[in-house]
Amino acid sequence: MLNYKFFGACFAMFLALGLPELAFAHGERAQMPQLRMRTVHWVDLNVSSTQLKVNEELVVSGSFMPSEYWPHHVDSVEGTAFLNIGIPGPSFVRLDSRVNGVPMIRSTSFKPGHIYNYEVRLKARKPGRYHVHPVINVKGTGPIIGPGLWVEVAEGVVSFENTAETLLGETIDLETYGLANVKFWSALWFLIGLAWFGYWLTKCPIIIPRFRDVENLGSADADQIITANDHRVGGVFLVLSLTLIVGSYMYAQENWPITTPLQTGKLESPKAAKNEPTISVEMIEARYRIPGRSFKVEFLVENHGQNAIDIGEFSAGNLRFINSDVLSVVPRDTHDLVAADALRVDGGSIPPGKKKSITIYANDALWETERMTTMIASPDSVVAGLLHFYDDRGNRSLVEFGGPMIPVFR
Amino acid sequence: MSERPPYSMGALMAENTAPELSKYGLSSNSEQRKLFAQVDMLAIPLVVLLFAGIFSFHFALLVGDWDYWVDWRDRRWWPLVTPLALSVLPGVFGYLLWERLRLPLGGTLTILCLTAASWISRYLNFHEFADFPLNFVWPSTFIALGLILDCTLLLTRSFFWTGLFGGFAFGLLIYPLNWVLLAPFQVPVELHGTMLTVADLMGFEYVRTAIPEYVRIIEQATLRTFGEAVTPLTAVFAGFLTIMNYWFWLWIGYLGAKAIWTRKIV
Repeated sequence: MLNYKFFGACFAMFLALGLPELAFAHGERAQMPQLRMRTVHWVDLNVSSTQLKVNEELVVSGSFMPSEYWPHHVDSVEGTAFLNIGIPGPSFVRLDSRVNGVPMIRSTSFKPGHIYNYEVRLKARKPGRYHVHPVINVKGTGPIIGPGLWVEVAEGVVSFENTAETLLGETIDLETYGLANVKFWSALWFLIGLAWFGYWLTKCPIIIPRFRDVENLGSADADQIITANDHRVGGVFLVLSLTLIVGSYMYAQENWPITTPLQTGKLESPKAAKNEPTISVEMIEARYRIPGRSFKVEFLVENHGQNAIDIGEFSAGNLRFINSDVLSVVPRDTHDLVAADALRVDGGSIPPGKKKSITIYANDALWETERMTTMIASPDSVVAGLLHFYDDRGNRSLVEFGGPMIPVFR
Repeated sequence: MSERPPYSMGALMAENTAPELSKYGLSSNSEQRKLFAQVDMLAIPLVVLLFAGIFSFHFALLVGDWDYWVDWRDRRWWPLVTPLALSVLPGVFGYLLWERLRLPLGGTLTILCLTAASWISRYLNFHEFADFPLNFVWPSTFIALGLILDCTLLLTRSFFWTGLFGGFAFGLLIYPLNWVLLAPFQVPVELHGTMLTVADLMGFEYVRTAIPEYVRIIEQATLRTFGEAVTPLTAVFAGFLTIMNYWFWLWIGYLGAKAIWTRKIV
């Protein structure tokens, strides 16, 4: 009876391991909160559709601003960076990827404090439900993962197609191009190798008799084991191998006479405007109260603009805390990291030409669920975030702030 | 020094007398032969599995992405790194198989095992599980290089000459051997005003979140060219390095063969 239970439990575990599992995240929660807050600020993520079929296109767009508080101990985005897309493997193919209109086929660099607009055009390849994120890979640092949205891909009417035209005018199917040729030559060499192995296996038993013979004959005379036929076969295989290498090379030159080396090299940095708001923000103090999951920041805000402004949103590390008095934002899916009414602002509007002391409170369980609370355990307790100011006409100004954070334990 | 009679395979086996056989619990030479065949049937598949496991792990660690993706197989690094990593097991096990059994199989057998393991891994892991098209992740072919090493060893019966000629050919020929598989993927295409190869285009289109474009360690433009002959220079350099490398790993095989425990195995 015990055995039945034991084997039943094992079988259930085995089945559970085999069940298909959704990929919920791309490791963004595993990254240190400080890095998430001080590397890239993502805003306005949008996907052109959340329901599509295989072969249909999806456009992922939005903006990002590399932080001016980028940690010095981490390689900068001003070095080498690549705009990527976070999806589970090639569930989509990437047709185009642009930053400020410039194709991002290869790596480039970005400047802190500048705002870049990105657009990635994808084509659905495999049916499934995917969490799609923009990503910026930074050389020496790793992937900086942006916010994600769920997209569902259903079976299409026809199977996936992905063609391209070479500069020689040939239309190729990228799903299968060159594969038959690869299989043929790989199989041919495998068979030749097997034939060589098979020749020596015909002498079986080979291990103990040959071992004993070599021992008995001694190293100097052990070559007597090699027969004249072995020599002939060795010669044939050597000539065959060399001839086939030369022959296949000539065949390749004949069939693909025009080739070019793999292409690489950094692209010029796309032109972008420096974010220069008419608002200056000086952070006075930032405290994170652990029991209440409450992030409190005090600022001195000066409005150099023509209209009164209010803080509508505070975002940091892909989390968005919304001041519902100013802005109405509804989470777009179950994993959209929006706390729709979690930002309290003490200090009210800032009239034009005035300087005011403002305190914000971002209180929500998102700090906990997104593992941002580990900021208190960081060796570098400096944080950064983005304040979204809105004037009475609905115009938005983004202002970054940053500085040391003090945890409050009681 | 006494003169030996001409050697014939199996002669020593046949010379076993009844008392010698009975010492091992055997009653006849045919029974002994059957036992030896059973040892082969058990040991050879185990050796094949061992080579496949060791070599695919070793190759994944030292060559890895250069052989996983078609857009990593460049003219400068791939043909240089690959033979250096690839000649390790043929060196070590080539020495053991020749020195202990006079079998010129170290190159071909280890590379055959690697090839089989690579195709299984690319098909199941990269294609079926991760959904990459197989024409983007096919493994290169190296079996001819193992054959050249083994045949040179058989014909010269010398590790020195095998290293010199076979080792050099091993490094030199890795690129021409694979060119027939690789050439179609280096045909130029255009994407949004940029020239790419088909391999680059596949690398861009088939998204690898953890492998951004800059991670590729491939040939970049340099002023230090020699008549623009990148591939032949790399091939010759790889050939020279592989001579040294092969000899070094033969020496490691020699050290392994000296170990008393290996002599006690059989």
